[in-house]
Amino acid sequence: MSASPIARQACSHAQAIPSKRVLVTDASQLPELYSSTPGGTLYSTTPGGTRIIYERAFLMNLKNSPLSRTPPSNIPSGLLRGSPNVPINTKRSPSRQAAKQKIDDPQEQFEIDL
Amino acid sequence: MPKNNKQQKTYSKAVAKIVKHPLNDRWTMWYLKQDQKKSWEEMLDVVHSFEMVEDFWSIYNHIRQPSELNQGNDYSLFKYNVRPMWEDAANKNGGRWVLCVDKLYRRTKLDELWLDTLLCIMGESFEFHEDINGAVVNVRHGGDRIAIWTADSTNKRSVLAIGSKLREYLRLGPEFKLYYELHSASKDTEPLYII
Repeated sequence: MSASPIARQACSHAQAIPSKRVLVTDASQLPELYSSTPGGTLYSTTPGGTRIIYERAFLMNLKNSPLSRTPPSNIPSGLLRGSPNVPINTKRSPSRQAAKQKIDDPQEQFEIDL
Repeated sequence: MPKNNKQQKTYSKAVAKIVKHPLNDRWTMWYLKQDQKKSWEEMLDVVHSFEMVEDFWSIYNHIRQPSELNQGNDYSLFKYNVRPMWEDAANKNGGRWVLCVDKLYRRTKLDELWLDTLLCIMGESFEFHEDINGAVVNVRHGGDRIAIWTADSTNKRSVLAIGSKLREYLRLGPEFKLYYELHSASKDTEPLYII
């Protein structure tokens, strides 16, 4: 989990944390606990821990795993492949001013759980 | 626990089938659907949030590709606590690396470039990964665009490192240029960097 925008700002002048590389080639090499990373514990909480980095090939390799093929729930209608593609008038993109008009409480937008 | 090597192997294989791989960050995928009756923010919808590789794929594998969206629509992927708009506190002092993708490439290259952009930011292969806020793909009549949004436009080292990493990761040929623009810059301002 990344830091909140405020925490982010607070540490924007901090020094970069040195990274070390632990190569994981197979899922079985990962620690059993989600809270730890290979070769260390959570980067964000423990000095000397690792940050999780996945190479493209490793990610692509997981694309067709059974869990990756499970259909997600609560996807906005019309986005699912194979659903009817409702034609929409495309006149012009909204200007930045339009985006400025109204900003709701950000909390409200993030009350989403898996 | 398994006793011998063979058992260990079977055990590992079984675990690999049910264990999900955690990402370094939690992300939210957004969808913007053009609708003239709505304000810009009302057009914005969350597709899903996730923090596991498999949960990303489960979404990606089941939703339309950018090339299958109607013109005027966007996908975005942002860190969980950042909204995909330049007004967000995390984006306010930031900018974006923009890749213009000619409509000629929509059928052949756009989807692949977008997927690679997603894998690149989620896989956290950037040296300055904390400066990455998210990525957006705009599907437009005048030409499609993919952008990576960074948090601090004043950090030249970080901005340029992210730009060149992106070029490398997307294996961009000389026909593609990357432009860095400030979110706060007006439309006609020259880009801050071009690589």
